[in-house]
Amino acid sequence: MPLLGGIRGRLTATIVALIVVTALVLGVGAYAFVDASLHGGLVRDAEAQARFDLTVLIPARLPTPTREAFDNSGLVRAFEGRSVRLIADFGDLVEPFRSIRSQELQAAVANGRLGYQWTAFGDQAVLIIGGRQPGTDAGFYFLHDATSLEQALTQLRIGLGGGALLLALVGLVAARWVARGVLAPVEAAARAAERIERGDLSARVPVASRDEFGTWADRFNRMAAALQETIGRLEASQAQNRRFVADVSHELRTPLTALVAEASILREHLGALPPDARRTGELLVADVARLRTLVEELMELSRFDSAAEQAAHEPIDLVRLVRAVAAARLPDAALVLPGEEPVVVVTDPRRIERILGNLLDNAREHAPNAPVEIGLQVHPDAVVLSVADAGPGVPEDRLERIFDRFYKADPSRQGGSSGLGLAIAAENAALIGGALSARNRSAGGLRFDLRLPVTEPLPGGDPAATSEPDRGARSTAQEPIR
Amino acid sequence: MDARILLVEDDPSIREVTGIGLRNAGFEVTTAADGLEGLDRFRAEPFDLLLLDVMLPRLDGLEVCRQVRRTSTVPIVMLTARGDTLDVVVGLEAGADDYVKKPFEVPELVARVRAALRRAGRLADDGDRLHLGPLSIDVGGRTVERDGEDIPLTRTEFDLLAELTRHAGQVLTRDVLLDRIWGYDYLGDSRLVDVAIQRLRAKVEPDAANPSLVLTVRGAGYKAAR
Repeated sequence: MPLLGGIRGRLTATIVALIVVTALVLGVGAYAFVDASLHGGLVRDAEAQARFDLTVLIPARLPTPTREAFDNSGLVRAFEGRSVRLIADFGDLVEPFRSIRSQELQAAVANGRLGYQWTAFGDQAVLIIGGRQPGTDAGFYFLHDATSLEQALTQLRIGLGGGALLLALVGLVAARWVARGVLAPVEAAARAAERIERGDLSARVPVASRDEFGTWADRFNRMAAALQETIGRLEASQAQNRRFVADVSHELRTPLTALVAEASILREHLGALPPDARRTGELLVADVARLRTLVEELMELSRFDSAAEQAAHEPIDLVRLVRAVAAARLPDAALVLPGEEPVVVVTDPRRIERILGNLLDNAREHAPNAPVEIGLQVHPDAVVLSVADAGPGVPEDRLERIFDRFYKADPSRQGGSSGLGLAIAAENAALIGGALSARNRSAGGLRFDLRLPVTEPLPGGDPAATSEPDRGARSTAQEPIR
Repeated sequence: MDARILLVEDDPSIREVTGIGLRNAGFEVTTAADGLEGLDRFRAEPFDLLLLDVMLPRLDGLEVCRQVRRTSTVPIVMLTARGDTLDVVVGLEAGADDYVKKPFEVPELVARVRAALRRAGRLADDGDRLHLGPLSIDVGGRTVERDGEDIPLTRTEFDLLAELTRHAGQVLTRDVLLDRIWGYDYLGDSRLVDVAIQRLRAKVEPDAANPSLVLTVRGAGYKAAR
C-alpha cells in the first residue's frame, strides 16, 4: 500500500502531521523562552556588575582616567581574574574591537548610559557591556565569555530537534497502529467477502466492537448465513436429485439387462409370429433399445456428476481416429482433413470417439439425408475437430441451451434420441480438457467445434505446412462434397 | 456343439433368458443363483466354460473366479454391470479371460462364449520354440521360461506373448490383437488389450516400468522387440 494511498495512509499522515506541528510549536516556544531568559539573566547580572565597577571599583583604582594610568593600574589583570576582558576607551580605541562595537552601543556609551551587545569576538561568543565612568569621558567595555551559554543553547536545540524527530517517528508507528486498528474491521470484511466470492460460504466477519462497524458486521454475517443456508439447501437437493437418478438408473439396470436379452431372442423369432403379434414384437424390440440408450446415458451422466469418470490419455492420430469413427458411424460424411499426415495429440481416444459419435448421431437425426462434413483443423495451440450439418440449424437464442440435459430443439419431434447425447458430448469434452461449442453456419445448418488444446508440439512441425488454408476458409460457406 | 456351460447369475429373469439363448445356440447349460452354489456345482461336475456375474449374493463373482482359478484353467467370462476400467482390471486379475458388459444381447454373448471356447480348445498348431530376449516360449507345451525358470502365464497372456513374438518387430494394432487373441471383431474396447499387456509385462519384463520386450508404439499398438 502506498504511504498516502487509501484511508489508512491519509489517517496516518494526518496524525503524524498533528504530532509534528504540536512538537514544533512546543519545542520552538520552549527554546525561545529558555533562550530569552538565559540571555536576559546574563545581561542583567553583567549590567549590575558593570554599574558597580564603573561607579566604585574603577574610580578607586583610576583617579585620573588616562591610557598610561590605566595601563599601570592592573585593572585588566584584576578583571581577567573574573574571566572578564576589560577594554578602556580614551578616544584611542584600536582594531579589531573598534569595528566590532555596534552603533547603538557606541551611542549609549557616549550618552553616559549602559549598553550591551551580543557578538562574536575571534572564535568566542561574547556579551559586551559598555558604559562611561561618571564624570569623565573614559568609556569602558566589559567582554563576558558567552561560549558556554551558546553551547548550552546549541545542545538544547539539538535535543529539541532530535526529540521532535523521535516523536514524529513514534507518532508514525503509533498512527499506523491506530489506523490499522480503526480499519481492521473493514479489512476483515474485505477478506470475508473475498472468501465468499471464491465459494467459501462459511466466511464471517468478526464482530469485535459495539460501534457502527459491529452493527454492519452483524448484518453482513446474517446475509452470509442466509446465503449459505440457501445454497446449502439447493446443493443438498441437487445432490439428492443426482443420487436419485443414479439409484434409479442402477436399479433399472437389472430388469433392463433381462429386457435386452429377451428382446434379442424375440427378434430372432419375429418371423414365426402372426402379423399383429409380429408388429408388436418389432415395436417392443425397438423400444427396449430406446430404453437401453436412455438408461445407459443417464448412468453415464450420473458418473460424470459424481466425478467417477477418468480420462485415459495416450498419443493418438486424430486423422486415423476420425476416419475410423466416420466409417463406422456415418460413412456418407465428407471429410475435410489437413492432409494424409498423422495429427498426433495426447488425449483419450474413447472420449473423442464418444463425442464425435454423438455429434454424428445428432446431425443424422436433425438433418436427415443432408450432407454432413467432418473437419479437422490444426492450429499452433489447438486442434479443432468439427461436425457441420446442412439441416435447419437452431435459433440463436437457443444455441447455448442445446447442451442442456433433455433439451430438444424441436419439442414436437419424437425422435429416437434421448436428448442427452449433446450433454454427454459436452461432459466428455470437458473431461479431456477440451471445449465443445455450437454455432449456425452462414450457409445454413449447425456446426459443432471440439477444441482440444495442444500442450506439446505436434509431430510434423509447422502446422501451416499440413493445413490447407483455402479449403479451411471455405469450409463453412461451401456445401460439402459428398 | 455340445459344450457344457455353468451360468452363475442371481437375477431369475436374466438367468432364465440367458439359459434359453445359450441352449438355443447348442450349449448344455447348468445354472446357479449365487456364488457358493456356483462353486459347489463347478466342483461337482466338469464344465467347459464358466459364465460369472460379478455381483452375486453370498460369494461375489470375483471371489468365485479366484477360487476356481486355483485348480482350473477353464475359460471364465465375467458378466459385469459396469464397463469401468477398474472392473475390467479387477476381473482380469481375478483370472477371468474376458468380460461382457450388461446389458448384453444374447447373440453377442453367444459369440463371446464361442470365441472363448475356441481359444481354449485351440491346440498347439505349432511345435516350435519361439524366442524373445531372454524368454524361451514353448508353443506346443504352452510354457514360457526365462533362464530355465518357468513363468506362469494365463491362457490369454500366453496367446498374446506368442502372437507378438511370431510377428516380432511388426506393429500389431489393438484391433488386430482383439481379433486374433480374443477371437471376435469387437469395435471399441481396447482397454482389454492394454490391461492384458500390462499384466503380461509385469510377469515377463525384467523392468516392467521400462519395457524392453513388449513395446508400445505410440498411437498405433504394440510390438515385440526384434
